[in-house]
Amino acid sequence: MKTVEKIINPVKRAGEQSPGKIYDEKLKVRARREWRGLKDTLYDYTRWLYLMSVLGRFIIVPRNVKGFFRYRWMMSYLFVPHGMDKFTIGLRDEALRIAHTSFNFVIADVTQAIANCFRGDRRVGNDKAYSDKCVITDENSMVTFMMGFDKEKVHTILREVPTMFASNIFHQFNVMHYLDVAQQYGIPGDVCPMPEAEAGISIDDDFCVLGCCAVQNNTTCDGSLMGNGIIAKRLEREYGIPTFQLATPLRHKEPDVLDYAAREIRKAIAFVEEHTGEKWDWDKYFAAARRVNDATRCRIAQLEINSTPYPQFFGAAFSLYNDTNYMGNSGRDPQFVEIDHKLLALAEQGYRAKRMYAKEYRHRAIVWGVQPQYIIDQLYWLLQCWGVMPLADMLSIINTDMIAEEDTPENREQAYRDMAMLNMEMIMRNHTHGGYKVLLDDLWELCEKMNADIVMMWEHMSCKALTGMHGMFEEQARERGIHLMWVSHDLCDPRVFTRQAIRDQVNNYMRTVMREEPLDPSLENIPDSEAY
Amino acid sequence: MKKLVKFPLILLGIAAGFFVVTFTIYIFNLDMKATSLLAPFLEKWYDKLERKNYI
Repeated sequence: MKTVEKIINPVKRAGEQSPGKIYDEKLKVRARREWRGLKDTLYDYTRWLYLMSVLGRFIIVPRNVKGFFRYRWMMSYLFVPHGMDKFTIGLRDEALRIAHTSFNFVIADVTQAIANCFRGDRRVGNDKAYSDKCVITDENSMVTFMMGFDKEKVHTILREVPTMFASNIFHQFNVMHYLDVAQQYGIPGDVCPMPEAEAGISIDDDFCVLGCCAVQNNTTCDGSLMGNGIIAKRLEREYGIPTFQLATPLRHKEPDVLDYAAREIRKAIAFVEEHTGEKWDWDKYFAAARRVNDATRCRIAQLEINSTPYPQFFGAAFSLYNDTNYMGNSGRDPQFVEIDHKLLALAEQGYRAKRMYAKEYRHRAIVWGVQPQYIIDQLYWLLQCWGVMPLADMLSIINTDMIAEEDTPENREQAYRDMAMLNMEMIMRNHTHGGYKVLLDDLWELCEKMNADIVMMWEHMSCKALTGMHGMFEEQARERGIHLMWVSHDLCDPRVFTRQAIRDQVNNYMRTVMREEPLDPSLENIPDSEAY
Repeated sequence: MKKLVKFPLILLGIAAGFFVVTFTIYIFNLDMKATSLLAPFLEKWYDKLERKNYI
């Protein structure tokens, strides 16, 4: 089997050594916050103050208070600091700053998204002029078809992000109600709980109602296609919001699908122009394209750093930022550029200082499959408890090609193809669909490039996209001498696999197959399965 | 002159008081503990709301 060199951290971590002690089974939150040494505790405290100020500024607006008491999912946002704590377990120095810089920005972005939803919502703010310039899009969808619209004039509302996806990060039980609603309605329980919960929110009448039109995307699975139908029915027939179906080819590595995909993008743009009354602006598009390329260059540099013995980018906070930047932003907001460069500067600083974030790095892992790591703190836990450094995850391995960024007649034609390519290679679809090459071959190439000896393979019980290849993964991992650690879960339904049931699969693998003892035994069993 | 000396001292006192109170809340996670007590009441509130539910 492949082995990697074990690296022992020569520097003792500041503050407490066993973060497992901060959990208490009687509580739904942590007993206290982690003591990280004076400097890092004070830094974490100032970021907590910042988060409080973001939440405070949100709730002083009367219509946001009204929205808070109207929508069940809003309760999750009371637990934003709890969610942030989940993503900083055991972190110090640059890694702590990277987690805060990236995830604090995501939180501010989501807070603004909620405020925008409430402003246009017919039940809450009812700002009709604003709502008439809003375009609703899916949660799991690229917004490349909005890159050429002035974001001050046409507002892109990713309605499902604050309602389902982000709210579930802060409160693991919050979508159970919507799953029950969907299943009472007659939807089977064996589809992915994420689109099922979104359908449940629509059935339960718990989505904000706004926008002059909506664009839905055939995302990645049977669940999302089914959910889109239910949501579109309510949007169109009950609220009179016309909904465009952006049908994107799934076999995105086949070159002959690109023309068709580009035509779909043209149609989506024409649809948005028709309903908002605003025109596509090529200056805006190419400015956004330059920012997309800038983000791509930063992402390539991040991967380079992680391929060294001293990785600096890891964990769900950073990968959530990547998701937000790549899919939800797609170059439209210049603020992301500044954050991208700040993150890279922090990582370079950490790399130069050879900064390590656990007592030992015993293994280097690629995290593959459909991942629930936003709902639990698995990646940080994996590093602190077992010394397994998660180098890259499937959702963060996205496009690395540059797109056309100069405004020329040829590039205007190329732009539709670029938007189509990005759309086809959106997060999830780029690996779960597209065939053998993107799911298996890409993984082994990545293991080679990043010098990984373990693949932590998330096995999502309700996801059919990956199930058929289980045997091939095992066979090929064996051929390459890569440890393949299967970890089952059911994404956002903690009734199927609790947090500890998920962690126990790793514990069992590390003890029985690898014959190792944990770096930090206080983390092996954490009483947080009932915690938010 | 006395006022000039007093003013920064008052500011310092307020800042120190703010730090002591907020840092205590932060380190003992009192914000999240208090919020978790509210959650069951909020759930009951949301259960009672009238909705145009399809079921």
